[in-house]
Amino acid sequence: MAAGVVIVGVGALGSHLVLWARNWPARIKIVDYDRVEQKNLLAQFHTRMGLGKNKAQALQQAMQGMFGTRLEAVPHRLSEDNAEVLLGGGDLVVDCTDNAATRRVIQVSVRRLGLPCVHGALSADGGFARVVWDELFVVDEEGSEGAATCENGEALAFFALAAAHLAGAVQRFLATGERRSCQITPTTVTRIA
Amino acid sequence: MPDLQVLHIHQARLNITWAGNNGDYPDPVPFDISDGEIRNIAAEAIRTGYVPGIQADVRVNLADFVVDRFGATAEVPWNRIFLRPKTPFGSR
Repeated sequence: MAAGVVIVGVGALGSHLVLWARNWPARIKIVDYDRVEQKNLLAQFHTRMGLGKNKAQALQQAMQGMFGTRLEAVPHRLSEDNAEVLLGGGDLVVDCTDNAATRRVIQVSVRRLGLPCVHGALSADGGFARVVWDELFVVDEEGSEGAATCENGEALAFFALAAAHLAGAVQRFLATGERRSCQITPTTVTRIA
Repeated sequence: MPDLQVLHIHQARLNITWAGNNGDYPDPVPFDISDGEIRNIAAEAIRTGYVPGIQADVRVNLADFVVDRFGATAEVPWNRIFLRPKTPFGSR
């Protein structure tokens, strides 16, 4: 039976990850409560056809239409109350969320459930990324209010690059069990473990 | 890659990320050095262009940067310190 992979967050990083995940030998569940807005089209793998729809459901339809890829979409916010239901039953959790609170919920839950988890994380300016397995991952707090965010399209290619490295880390894990962590800039990839 | 002949068990290799570039500080640093001292060393090194791979930048500001420490492992047999930007995002 194919491995079950749960991807939490399908925005700038997670949406591109799903694009590169279509050949994984896995059953993929994507979780996101947010809706696709016009501004998301600049930096995320979402289309005009998805505008106004839930991101997870919009991506599910796009991947089915373009590649015939079947995904399970969960249009809910991950919280302490539902984390074990949404994350449990899978073999791997991929964290692509955008806030410290949700990352902590994921971290606590996967440790309680004994699930492998890899975290994908971007800096606010979209010029630095980390792909780190949970045993090495420390949750970063958000910066000060009003800090720059990676919403504009300037970092689109870098998001795709970071997502490709994250997809590669998952693919390697599914094939061999190896957990390789790295940090990424537009010009370098530095292995952490 | 550090020269293992000179990297002492209490020392570490310092890796720095700044302005989309990344490089290793050329000299070993104490593994138990404080986060503030790491930021000071790195800031001075970036200002003076001392880090291979990172262009000299007099406007460097590392106040909000994060320090990660990884002890030696069988695979990477030396201590490492990473100074990097915060990464709170992945989605929105």
